[in-house]
Amino acid sequence: MKGARFSGLRRFWDEYRQVKSGLIGIGLLVVFILIVLLEPVALPYRQANERWRDINYWQDSPRLALPVWVNWFTSKDYPRSTVISEPKREEVATGTLRVITMEVPYEFTSGHPPSDLYYKLYLTGRASIAFEFIRPDGEKVELRRSTAVDGAQILRLSAIETLQERAYALGAKYEDPNVAKSRNPRMIDTMGVLFGQAARGIFIKPAILDGTYRMRIQVALVNEQSQLNKAEFVVLGGVSGILGTDGDRRDLWCGFIAGTKWALLIGLLTSLISVVVGVVYGVAAGYFGGWIDALMNRIFEVVLSIPLLPILIVMSAVFNPSIWIIIAMMCLFFWVGPVKTVRSMALQIKEHSYIEAAKALGASHRRILFRHMIPQLIPYSFASMALSVPGAILYEASISLIGLGDPTIVSWGQVLRDAFSSGAVLQGIWWWIIPPGVAIALMGMTFAFIGFAMDTILNPKLKTR
Amino acid sequence: MTEPILVAENLTKWFPVKRTLTQITRGERTWVRAVDGVSFSINKGEIFGLVGESGCGKTTTGKLIMKLLDITDGRLHMHGDDVTHIQGARLAKHRREVQMIFQDPYSSMNPRFTVRDVLMEPLEIHKVGQNLQEREVWVREILNEVKLSPPDEFLVRHPHMLSGGQRQRAATARTLMLNPSVIVADEPVSMIDLSTRAEILSMMRQLQRELGLTYVYITHDLSTARYFVDRLAVMYLGKIVEMGPAGVVIDRCLHPYTQALIGAVCEPKSGRVNQIKDVPIKGEIPAATNIPPGCRFHPRCLFSVPECWEEVEPTLVDVGGGHMVACRRHEDIEKRGAAARTSDASLGVRRSSFEA
Amino acid sequence: MAKERVLEVRDLELHYFTRKGVVRAVDKISFDLRQSETLGVVGESGCGKTTMGTALLNMPTPPGRIVGGQILLDGHDVLKLSETEIRRRVRWETISMVFQGAMNCLTPVYTIKKQMKETLRQHREMSRQEMDARMKKYLNLVGLSDDVLRRYPHELSGGMKQRVVIAMALFLEPKVVICDEPTTALDVVVQAQVINLLKDLKDELQVSFIFITHDLSIEAEVSDRIMIMYAGRIAEIGTNEQIYGPQGPAHPYTQRLLAATPRLHEEVAELAFIPGTPPDLVAPPTGCRFHPRCHVVMERCSRDDVGLREIEPDHLVACWRCFND
Repeated sequence: MKGARFSGLRRFWDEYRQVKSGLIGIGLLVVFILIVLLEPVALPYRQANERWRDINYWQDSPRLALPVWVNWFTSKDYPRSTVISEPKREEVATGTLRVITMEVPYEFTSGHPPSDLYYKLYLTGRASIAFEFIRPDGEKVELRRSTAVDGAQILRLSAIETLQERAYALGAKYEDPNVAKSRNPRMIDTMGVLFGQAARGIFIKPAILDGTYRMRIQVALVNEQSQLNKAEFVVLGGVSGILGTDGDRRDLWCGFIAGTKWALLIGLLTSLISVVVGVVYGVAAGYFGGWIDALMNRIFEVVLSIPLLPILIVMSAVFNPSIWIIIAMMCLFFWVGPVKTVRSMALQIKEHSYIEAAKALGASHRRILFRHMIPQLIPYSFASMALSVPGAILYEASISLIGLGDPTIVSWGQVLRDAFSSGAVLQGIWWWIIPPGVAIALMGMTFAFIGFAMDTILNPKLKTR
Repeated sequence: MTEPILVAENLTKWFPVKRTLTQITRGERTWVRAVDGVSFSINKGEIFGLVGESGCGKTTTGKLIMKLLDITDGRLHMHGDDVTHIQGARLAKHRREVQMIFQDPYSSMNPRFTVRDVLMEPLEIHKVGQNLQEREVWVREILNEVKLSPPDEFLVRHPHMLSGGQRQRAATARTLMLNPSVIVADEPVSMIDLSTRAEILSMMRQLQRELGLTYVYITHDLSTARYFVDRLAVMYLGKIVEMGPAGVVIDRCLHPYTQALIGAVCEPKSGRVNQIKDVPIKGEIPAATNIPPGCRFHPRCLFSVPECWEEVEPTLVDVGGGHMVACRRHEDIEKRGAAARTSDASLGVRRSSFEA
Repeated sequence: MAKERVLEVRDLELHYFTRKGVVRAVDKISFDLRQSETLGVVGESGCGKTTMGTALLNMPTPPGRIVGGQILLDGHDVLKLSETEIRRRVRWETISMVFQGAMNCLTPVYTIKKQMKETLRQHREMSRQEMDARMKKYLNLVGLSDDVLRRYPHELSGGMKQRVVIAMALFLEPKVVICDEPTTALDVVVQAQVINLLKDLKDELQVSFIFITHDLSIEAEVSDRIMIMYAGRIAEIGTNEQIYGPQGPAHPYTQRLLAATPRLHEEVAELAFIPGTPPDLVAPPTGCRFHPRCHVVMERCSRDDVGLREIEPDHLVACWRCFND
């Protein structure tokens, strides 16, 4: 018995192999499944799933960084992020006042300035901090002096209010005075100036000054109790991760990986439930016939004619948007998909004399439906399932896109929504839009290909031989 | 052999025809009179043949006996009990008592089932046998009975892995699973190759003798009917026109319709190729929605006289020896037939030069 | 018989190239067809009889292909002609076919007239009057009245449809008409009427028929000569008298088939049958293909391939038992 079953599968596979698109579909599906299985390994940020919307979690990444592989295609490299923890300390004590000086040399050879840099200090007690930026050409820019108390202190370059003025002051020394005058200090490319060659044109089109930059920070600890526990210096590059980052510094590769399992889940669960319901419904209608069939057909037609999207919008607005409610709603409308075909197939199967033979043996309706008729429809059901997966994924994406998705999950639709609401399209932040879009399309294609391939094999009308 | 096991009295099945709007508004109804008052009595251990052209109601009669269709009118008795409108437990019992072999061995078994599944099904439905082992033993026994041996080889096969003959054996095995007393066989060999046809029929006959079965054999093929059945009923448009022992009905038929049927049969004998066959019938078979008044055969009959359509339909009358005919002119026909028979000496055919 | 040969088939081979292997459905078949005779082709399902019929029109069903042999029509090999030439000169012009179940292939949405006209127009340049006259002539010939032309297929009975199909096979005046199971789907009475019709037509039109069926009894009624096929080969060819006459056929297969056929007017205690099933044509048995099922098998039957030989005039058999060597 086993042998026979396997030989059936074997035959099916032999035929399936002939359909090229089907093989592509299977290949893509395997890739997606691998992504889901390897998610713990493939996620660069372990808590990306739970803390996707937690700003603090993502603060160490650059904002709107390009994918790292962009560097392979440009002559002017974008710098990568660099972390230097525990830079060398020099401590000078004067009475109770201790001054710790840390000077971090930063070798810089890129085509673009980094997007940001900062110190991260973990303090106990009170301290005053001075931050100085020394360029390879000897120019010094004092960036900030401040006092701080207990806890983590982040000295972020981009967060310094006076940064622009200082940068302007630096640039103005070299730039054509007329040009300098015409520039608004608030509008200059700060990082470009800070890392630019001290020459004319520094405001207009700064050339990058290569060499060793030094970041000097002085921490003055006021009393005995004060301690500098830990120090870290971070340069945020212009590229990050496989797919870059979004406006909230989130790693988009994490978004892609985390979204895969939800897309698969939404697609497969919805299509599974709706196809099971649809097949049983269709078979029952075809088998019983008469007024039962007529009634079931009317119900089917009513459901078929209700547009799903508005209902989904209303439901998401009324209830707490939850992915389970969305799936349930989709199932409520998707089951109509296979009904028409299944019913007509059931009408054909019903005519076979083995159905009559079963009746003559005294088999119950349930037995005839579930033992004799539905097993015949299993191949079609699989094809139908595969074909309804893309629809479910697209509907979820649409719901997320208009902002009614489940806020507790990461889905491709939601990544897209964030991109749209931040105006990524207008700003040309392609790496924020294209990957989730392509992922949705690919996932849809995967199942469409598999479904079409199965359809070609199983649907005798499409069979050429 | 005289105890009647299955008795049909005026068995009738009318199917409603879908009405047009005008018919609905006028309150008219048309019916397909598929079986229109059929009476017969089948004895225990008998092979009873129902013969006729397609659309004569022979298969519908079989399904009425099976209780696969609701009986419109008339009575059906089984073992003396009225089973016309039974339901529930009594229907389940009837289903065990009466089994059916279907015409098309290719479609009468679920293609996804193995022979084991097919044979287990009746046992599962009627919860026969204590456990799987017991059922399995029974399945093997029956497979041996229908000569599908060794059983192990066939149990695991799917229907498409069997030849037509083997399939029909498996289908026969399925009918035997519940120890029935009556088997309705609807054209069991018409789709089977000639070389194995006789093998199936002889197996069926052997089973009938061993197990004391009663068969209702439905066919359009008079030659196999002659070979296989004890008693024969010829049906035309939902009614039995002639009934009696097979040899008598075929060799000295009295109803003009039976005569036409028999004249039309081809026989594997030489010397017929240059003769035009004599088929004493005219016109085409009328629709079962529009049955002619009087004798329903009169528009096609070469013997019909005005009484045939002016008076009521003739009923079956016994002309001796259990030979019954429903024709008011059967006496005239008999006189003619007796004269013709003497001239038609049958040609002997030597079967085989290697045998004997 | 000194009648002229209209069709000679020599070593015709047609194979189906399936995934399971090469099915030798028609394996080196040779026979002649004479002027205005009916040649019956009998065999069980899968013996290659229908395949052979389609091969004669050079239109095998894929994945079948004619791989060898000749089909000589007035001495010209049909298989050497191009497809357009076959279409113009052979198919329907010289050889036409009544396909199995053809009566169910009439298009339900057109009248009989339109369908007949379509076939006629593809082959002949004719005026409307000529066409009408010809259609009426042939419908009358098959026993139908003119008003059938205006009818749709569903308005006709099975027997009438079969007559229409036969008329359509005839009205280009072919020399050979192949009929594949033309009576199988019909009721006994209608079947007898169609058989009578074919007999009439043969005499009236001087057409040769190839009559393919699985039913030995029907062949006895219609065919002058009978060819019995088994597993893609010819087992026996003989005249009606030689096969059905008192002497009986020569090949054990034919003998058994005849003995397995029930007789209407004879009381037979037990019919004969042939044990086993026809062989798989992907890997047919060696020697005589019938030997595994034969009741008079000899040692050499499984060893030596057997060919057709004439054992008496017009009677050819492929059986070692019938030969003297």
